[in-house]
Amino acid sequence: MAYLDSLPSFSGWDEMFTYEGVRERYTRVFDMLRGLPVEVLNQKDRQAADFFMNQGITFTVYADNKGIERIFPFDIIPRIITGIEWQHISDGIKQRLKALNLFLNDIYGEQNIIKDGIIPAKLIATCPHFLKEVVGIKVPHNIYIHISGIDLIRGADGVFYVLEDNLRTPSGVSYMLENREVTKRIFPEMLANNKVRMVNSYPLELNNILAALSPREVEQPNVVLLTPGTYNSAYYEHTFLARQMGIALVEGRDLVVDNHKVYMKTTLGLQQVDVVYRRIDDEYIDPLVFNPKSVLGVPGIMSAYRKGNVALVNAVGNGVADDKAVYAFVPDMIKYYLNEDPILPNVPTFRMEDEDQREHVLANLETMVVKETNQSGGYGMIMGNKATEEQLELARTSILENPRNYIAQPIIQLSTVPCLIDGKLSSRHVDLRPYALCGPNGIEIVPGGLTRVALSEGSLVVNSSQGGGSKDTWVID
Amino acid sequence: MSMLSRIADNLFWLHRYMERADGLILTVRNTYILSFDIDLYGTQGYKPLLQAYTIANDALIHDLEKDVPRLLQYVICDGTKTNSMKSLIGKARENARGSQDKITKELWEQVNSMYHYLQHEDMDSRLVEPYALGSLDFLQQQSLLYNGIVDSTMPRGIGWSFMNIGKYIERCLQTVNLTDCYFGAIEYRMDGPEDLLYWRRLLLSLSGYELYLKNNRGNAHSRQILAQVITNKDFPRSVLYSLLRMEKYLEDVTNDNPLREVVALQKQFGRLRSLVEYTDVSMLNDATLDELLQSIRKQTWDFSAALSKVFFSYT
Repeated sequence: MAYLDSLPSFSGWDEMFTYEGVRERYTRVFDMLRGLPVEVLNQKDRQAADFFMNQGITFTVYADNKGIERIFPFDIIPRIITGIEWQHISDGIKQRLKALNLFLNDIYGEQNIIKDGIIPAKLIATCPHFLKEVVGIKVPHNIYIHISGIDLIRGADGVFYVLEDNLRTPSGVSYMLENREVTKRIFPEMLANNKVRMVNSYPLELNNILAALSPREVEQPNVVLLTPGTYNSAYYEHTFLARQMGIALVEGRDLVVDNHKVYMKTTLGLQQVDVVYRRIDDEYIDPLVFNPKSVLGVPGIMSAYRKGNVALVNAVGNGVADDKAVYAFVPDMIKYYLNEDPILPNVPTFRMEDEDQREHVLANLETMVVKETNQSGGYGMIMGNKATEEQLELARTSILENPRNYIAQPIIQLSTVPCLIDGKLSSRHVDLRPYALCGPNGIEIVPGGLTRVALSEGSLVVNSSQGGGSKDTWVID
Repeated sequence: MSMLSRIADNLFWLHRYMERADGLILTVRNTYILSFDIDLYGTQGYKPLLQAYTIANDALIHDLEKDVPRLLQYVICDGTKTNSMKSLIGKARENARGSQDKITKELWEQVNSMYHYLQHEDMDSRLVEPYALGSLDFLQQQSLLYNGIVDSTMPRGIGWSFMNIGKYIERCLQTVNLTDCYFGAIEYRMDGPEDLLYWRRLLLSLSGYELYLKNNRGNAHSRQILAQVITNKDFPRSVLYSLLRMEKYLEDVTNDNPLREVVALQKQFGRLRSLVEYTDVSMLNDATLDELLQSIRKQTWDFSAALSKVFFSYT
């Protein structure tokens, strides 16, 4: 077919091709694609877009005082990971989460990791997400991180690196699940022929974990999902998960705290709530304890949490463990708490508080990506090789003014996967966010995750807020 | 079974707005088709539609009647007008979004696809011939499809009951309002000379024309029509039918409900139902008909407000 006459060019690691040809894992997909005219692929592309639009899996862009609904771009060519690679990824994430959870128990408890000189006290003290208000609170089963999304990238050497940890309210899991649903519709045969591992057990596993955290020993604990509301960009995901788990989707105004217990307002009066899967950041969850201007949260919910009358998922205060400056110490945590070497390496990270590291970065700024330590979603990030002179100068000044607020990493050439762009296959850079669930019975990771794609040619920024899209992610044996 | 008050509120308004949209498109389409016949019989043209479903004043009604493409645009796709079809579906969708975990996927997708259809940038040009009638047909079919989807996919339970209370409050008000427009224009004369061509528009706007033809003979149309639209228990858009459905769903949401206010609400509803059920159409005259229609409307509004206060007070 014309669109496959010349294979997409790439440098670094491509998930589908080597310089010699098609990787074995992709042979069936490639053969099938080769048998389809480009018009059919374009039609499948439109079919996928309609699927997302009709289901309301959209976000709103405001321009000229009008709200225009857009879908998050979806590329129809799947990203494939082998079972062996997945085992490695899965082992690495489990190891990392164990260490991070032990770190949170420690940092809100004895703080031995500081006393033993592994992590500087100042680093924690200056972290805006370290919350004194939760020190000493006993969390159920000692689990802080129930739900996480660890971002991985694959470098030109073919090695998976951890790019960042998302341990607060990671989003995107509904896209992982819906991407698979749309693939079932557009490539049913291709999916069946490749024996792809199932992902749709995620909501059931999450529901079991949430129910297991109930402080009340009742047959059917009242579990709710707390959303900021319909204007939140992840609102679709909140409704999706609530529906898939059969739990109530509540807003802050639906809940009330009385005598250190949380209740929801129903047509039959007040009913006690046992577990809150909250998709609201720590800062907004309780205006009596954190941001007093918050209208999204529930006044008094922290008092119920402190008394152990309600479980909050994820636990409050996890932000200290996914701070981008603390990230640099995760390999040390793994060594300290588990006495193991990290299975998944970090991307080399320079802490701007360290004078030597800072000087090195400032001298090589155009080869670095500079990130604000307390930002996410691709905000507050400067790619040295793409930035203008003014942007680089601003980054330099900002780093010198507040070094704790920044880290820098060498720019890593993310691996690529071919995408259908304007009727042709073109290589685009991707990352991978597997979703892990941690409950009293251990850690479960759904095989796959969300592959995010930087849709602009050559771009390394995959965040949806910055124009990224996504792909279905297959783990095959 | 209980339900979040906010969700009950969302479901109530979702179905109420969709019922209003359904009545609107039914009336628009029928009036549009009838408008192709030159009006020799003083049938009031688009006036009842605009009076019952919009807030247009007399001057605007006068202007719109002379400019049908603009009129269609006004009632269907003018997003700045609160009662246009586009606004109604937009508000229904907002309520559906707020209760998305309690409605079925099929229902959500139907409301969502109607929303996107009306939001389309070409919508204005779809309301000009040769496309206008096709567009009105399409919208009416989508509205019927919505009702079918609701009926065949939504689980019965407390949410279903609140949805239907909203729907039948709306239906009751629509029937009263449209009836009032037609009777008001002839000063509530019960035994006037108006022939069936005058009343046909009202009946078609309520899907009751064929039923009327089957059940009635003679020329006493005004009284017979009033009996059908107010007290006929078998006519699904009659006021009494709507109230009897409301009564059933009200029982469902008040049964075993420990809230103290429900007893007062039940009594309030009982008074409204009795007013309609025990009306003797043969005894009505031009003064008492006007009064009856005003009373039904006022008591339905009051009941709706009281229901909100008892069940939806969550802020």
